[in-house]
Amino acid sequence: MAFNKMNLKDIEVWDGNHAAAQALRQAQVDVVAAYPITPSTPIVEGYAKFKANNYVEGEFVMVESEHAAMSGCIGAAAAGGRVATATSSQGFALMVETLYQASGMRLPVVLNVVNRALAAPLNVNGDHSDMYLGRDSGWIQVDAYSPQEAYDLNLMAFRISEDHDIRLPVMVHQDGFMTSHTAQGVHTLSDDAAYNFVGEYKPMNDMLDFEHPVTHGVQTEEDWHFEHKARQHNDLMLKAPPKIEEVFTAFEKLTGRKYNQVESYDMEDAEVCVFCMGTSVETAREVASEMREKGIKAGVVGLRVVRPFPFVQVAEALKNTKAVAILDRSSPNGAAGAMFNEVAGALYNTGIRTLLSGYIYGLGGRDLTKAHLVALFNELQANVNAGKITTQLQQFIGVRGPKLSYL
Amino acid sequence: MSEIKQIKNLKDFSTSADRFEGANLLCPGCAHSIIVREVLNATNNDLVLAASTGCLEVCTAVYPYTSWDASWIHIGFENSSTAIAGAETMYKALKTKGRLKQPDRNPKFVAFGGDGASYDIGFQWISGCMERNHDMMYVVLDNEVYANTGGQRSSSTPIGSSATTSPAGSISYGEKQNKKDMMGIMAAHHIPYAAQVAPNKWKDMVKKIQRGFATEGAVFINAVSPCTTEWKFDPKDTMMITDLATDSLVFPLYEVIDGREFNITYRPKNVVPVEEYLAAQGRFKHLFKDEYKYLIKEWQERVDAQWAYLQRREEAKV
Amino acid sequence: MAKKGWDEFEIGAMLRTFNGEIENIAGTRQEDRSYTENSSYTASVADWRLIKPIFNKDYCIDCQFCWIYCPDVSIISRDKKLIGIDMDHCKGCGICVEVCPTNPKSLLMFPEQADEEVEIASWPKKDEKEA
Repeated sequence: MAFNKMNLKDIEVWDGNHAAAQALRQAQVDVVAAYPITPSTPIVEGYAKFKANNYVEGEFVMVESEHAAMSGCIGAAAAGGRVATATSSQGFALMVETLYQASGMRLPVVLNVVNRALAAPLNVNGDHSDMYLGRDSGWIQVDAYSPQEAYDLNLMAFRISEDHDIRLPVMVHQDGFMTSHTAQGVHTLSDDAAYNFVGEYKPMNDMLDFEHPVTHGVQTEEDWHFEHKARQHNDLMLKAPPKIEEVFTAFEKLTGRKYNQVESYDMEDAEVCVFCMGTSVETAREVASEMREKGIKAGVVGLRVVRPFPFVQVAEALKNTKAVAILDRSSPNGAAGAMFNEVAGALYNTGIRTLLSGYIYGLGGRDLTKAHLVALFNELQANVNAGKITTQLQQFIGVRGPKLSYL
Repeated sequence: MSEIKQIKNLKDFSTSADRFEGANLLCPGCAHSIIVREVLNATNNDLVLAASTGCLEVCTAVYPYTSWDASWIHIGFENSSTAIAGAETMYKALKTKGRLKQPDRNPKFVAFGGDGASYDIGFQWISGCMERNHDMMYVVLDNEVYANTGGQRSSSTPIGSSATTSPAGSISYGEKQNKKDMMGIMAAHHIPYAAQVAPNKWKDMVKKIQRGFATEGAVFINAVSPCTTEWKFDPKDTMMITDLATDSLVFPLYEVIDGREFNITYRPKNVVPVEEYLAAQGRFKHLFKDEYKYLIKEWQERVDAQWAYLQRREEAKV
Repeated sequence: MAKKGWDEFEIGAMLRTFNGEIENIAGTRQEDRSYTENSSYTASVADWRLIKPIFNKDYCIDCQFCWIYCPDVSIISRDKKLIGIDMDHCKGCGICVEVCPTNPKSLLMFPEQADEEVEIASWPKKDEKEA
């Protein structure tokens, strides 16, 4: 039975989950194997509804756990077709074993991760703990700050992931609730334009080619394992970034919407900068503009591509600043923030000296308010004025009780 | 390609061109590969295969070698069932969309796992696949122990067996729990076909595998796989031990159709006492001490009770 | 097999069994297949063996019990006849001898260094007790 196409308005009012579900529909995914978990559930519910109403020709399987969801995705991807799923938080944590299998076997899968805190204590709201948990898993990770970006990045993710030079799975992150459940205007592509952009799936090492049998998921011990891991890292470091850039450029050509590995806002002459991810980027941009009116040269850098980490581009974006705040939305549990450390490494090793301080914020969906950011920019300016960091290197913001600061 | 392969006798069967290769790293005398060969050779259709982590997997795909002549995948310890279900789902999708490279084939999807991977860690995944009724076959290579990691107990390890994590000792007769009734649990999913097989009864086994391949939907196979290393017998005796397993009715051979219709498929002419089965294996050696002989009697009673139960189920057709 | 560098193999540690295309694997005998160097068919486990089977075709009835119960795909049967043993893949488990129903047996185990011609020349006679 032929499936139906959907007539979309140029601008639809979608939340991030629906935007992602629409992108999966338009990409004509062959197999979605999924398991529901808040706040990503509406992605698979939306997709199920598309399937029930004949807008999806591919298969949709609701399995019995997130581990099984990714296991099914791996089997389906190895068989040779387009594969996607979605998850959050505890489900993501349950998936972790298989995340390494998907990337190590070089199988293209698009995984929507609607970011949510990790228990204990249990929490359904957005922070970046799950995104951080995935950072060594060998996947490409891109972060959407809005429903529009969730839509766009999903379409781009297939093209990056499935490219024969890349063949690495891609996570598309968005903030739980703040993005996933907040409806905004989303500029759409027609079904045909979106599918043409994503392109036909081109099989590689596919198990369903019965005339060329393949063995996937071998054992390698000390005499081979290192070489395979090295190759994967090499391809993430050297092949993925230009491919990501190429796809970003092609998407800009099609839509006019420009994406960068590192998103700079008002950074040309910025002296103080907030570096963050997710919905905080938009809030920080708004506050930065207001700070400019008060005479503070404020800018914002958002990380778009989390993995492979754009080391050089991050350093480049921050090279003329005098003070930078790195915002980590995941409990560092006994260290400086992971993002703080990564940016510090990028700056130190490129000879860039700026006053770098770290902030832990927003855990479990705690709001990052404009007032927080105003105070933060003022603190950075104070650092600039003093010529040194006037606080400890790591501070918690927005948490009740006596002030927490370390290092 | 989809007609059932004609195998009237062993001479017919021996004309099969194996799709599993030697120089794998399984122990000499391992029953796993005998089972795998009987499964694979039961059809001429294309095969898509999966294996869970375990003896079969680590011995047949150690880089840079593969012993598989059909597409094969391994992900983890718990999920060969779901891996093959994913592949089968992709097959359906590509068939619908007209994108199969060789659209005229009728491939069979088979996942293998040991009892550890199946009765224990992968239990939920198998249950999910059976419940969703994927068009696939799951085969347990049931050697009643975590053999690949050196002989730890699984929920398939029978009472009185000495395993490394339930060893027999001065105050212990070894494993305390009875073997999980995996066949009963799988049949309770009301899948179209479930069967217990043994490689010594090759004709019975191949008939069941062929029925499984001809079945649309999920098929569960539990295959007894005597383990020379962990059951502690001479590698040359693998088939003799398998004969004792089936002829003592410790491993009754039967099938369950749609979760309701029970058919016993092998009735030994001379039923062997369970004691003989136990005595042939080092893992039960300690049961022959005076203080544990009551366990042998209990073993026999359990086997008799299970056999009576199966016969009642068969007669009742429920 | 030569140890390759990180940039010299297929991504994902994927292995191919055959060179090029193979249309009908189940209909193609091992000797007619073009295995890659990655198939264990091209490897040998002969050095695992301490004892080896010797096949005496004079007594063989081609029942194929040894073929079906060989765990190592090492009994070579063609056109329903046992024609030999694959000594690269035989691990010397001895199952073939145990399941051989003839009297005397058509397969017997000998030390690895035993000479086939010598052993066949001095093959045991029919066991009258068993018969």
